[in-house]
Amino acid sequence: MRASEPESLRPEGGDYYLDGLLTRVARGDQAAFEAVYDNLAGPVYGLILRVVRDPAQSEEVSQEVLLEVWRTAARFDPAKGTAATWVLTIAHRRAVDRVRSAAAATAREQRTAEVPVPHDDVAAIVEASLDAQRVRECLEGLTEPQRESIALAYYGGYSYRQVGERLGTALSTIKTRIRDGLIRMRDCLGVS
Amino acid sequence: MALLRNDQHTLTGVYALDALDTAAEVARFERHLNRCDSCTGEVRGFRETATRLAMAVAQEPPPTLRAAVMADVARTRQAPAADDRARHARPLQRPSLLPRLAMAGAALGLAAAIVLAVVLVNTQNQLNQTQSQLGQTQQQLSQAKRHLIAAQTQLAAINSVRTAADATLVTKATKIGGRITVVRSAAKRQLVVTASGLPPLKAGKVYQLWLIGGPGNKIRSEGLLAVHNGRSGPVLISGVLKGDLFGMTVEPAGGTIQPTLATLAITIPAS
Repeated sequence: MRASEPESLRPEGGDYYLDGLLTRVARGDQAAFEAVYDNLAGPVYGLILRVVRDPAQSEEVSQEVLLEVWRTAARFDPAKGTAATWVLTIAHRRAVDRVRSAAAATAREQRTAEVPVPHDDVAAIVEASLDAQRVRECLEGLTEPQRESIALAYYGGYSYRQVGERLGTALSTIKTRIRDGLIRMRDCLGVS
Repeated sequence: MALLRNDQHTLTGVYALDALDTAAEVARFERHLNRCDSCTGEVRGFRETATRLAMAVAQEPPPTLRAAVMADVARTRQAPAADDRARHARPLQRPSLLPRLAMAGAALGLAAAIVLAVVLVNTQNQLNQTQSQLGQTQQQLSQAKRHLIAAQTQLAAINSVRTAADATLVTKATKIGGRITVVRSAAKRQLVVTASGLPPLKAGKVYQLWLIGGPGNKIRSEGLLAVHNGRSGPVLISGVLKGDLFGMTVEPAGGTIQPTLATLAITIPAS
């Protein structure tokens, strides 16, 4: 009866439902915050784990992110984007901050050397989730270099300079690849 | 210069994925963003796209995370929105009214002054009324403070269950919709119940909580569940016995002594 498995990861009523909840969180509504948690803790933790890789550190960063959501909910502006995006943008930034500090980066490289993580193989990463069929289809519509660059930057938390170094590709090329790839993803997913 | 702007524009993707290299690069791009509407729109679309990439790698977080976050939340004050502070800082208008009326009175003739006197008396009455309302508000405030202290005590008890070393969490859909989440601590013999998405009830109906089991298979009412918009804040239930089952039924207003088993919406092992 550990029941909060896959279905709690699915938003109960889409973007508007979450936007409304977050607006209530901004007024100090703890029950609304619990519902936000139930909807977004899975994506927050999954994303941070993908970037940070170490489960204990990922839990720590997730805790910081979710507390920041509670603390700064009044800054969420539904006119500027969805609640999910507001929360996951904070999550991604915090995860990236964690791995970019020099010491952490070195440690991470060592761990990567010990346990090979197939972060270049986006299809394999995304396949793990049942909810992600559409995302997977759209990723398959990208060129291999586009897919690789986006995966290293977003799931790997690498800066575009680091992506360029890893792939032996000029910075300006990485920049356009990421942008062109995101445009194609955006249109494929029907994001407005 | 045109080349440089164009250069900045193609950074929308890199920026949206937090992949710029330095804080200086971020600052430079954000300055550009302030002047470039099409870039702002593009970044927004890319961020929503990235959200889908994040959703696709969702993973069940460790169960300890929820308790840790909720404990943090219970003791962390929220930051106000910027315009909230401005609203609070605005001074009250009322005190300036009387001096202004008095000044006007001195400048007018006698007839006008009489009219004015009536206005003044009315104003004074309004002021008295406002003051008595203020007194009532203060009473309400001190009552609210007492409620707050009671709620904080309750919350501390709830958090001590949630952070108990042996705490386990179960969340389960009810037969009539919505979910019940229960955090149990066998050591404390307590559990904490929260509900979300419960369907609205007909007038004259309430949700009632029960513990079923223990010696002689007794049924104990644990009170009514206060539900707002389908949700209920955490409710603490104490005195849980080994083998108890937690349950929720729909009952007539005021609750009943024995549960109407036909309306049993959910059961969860309570220990």
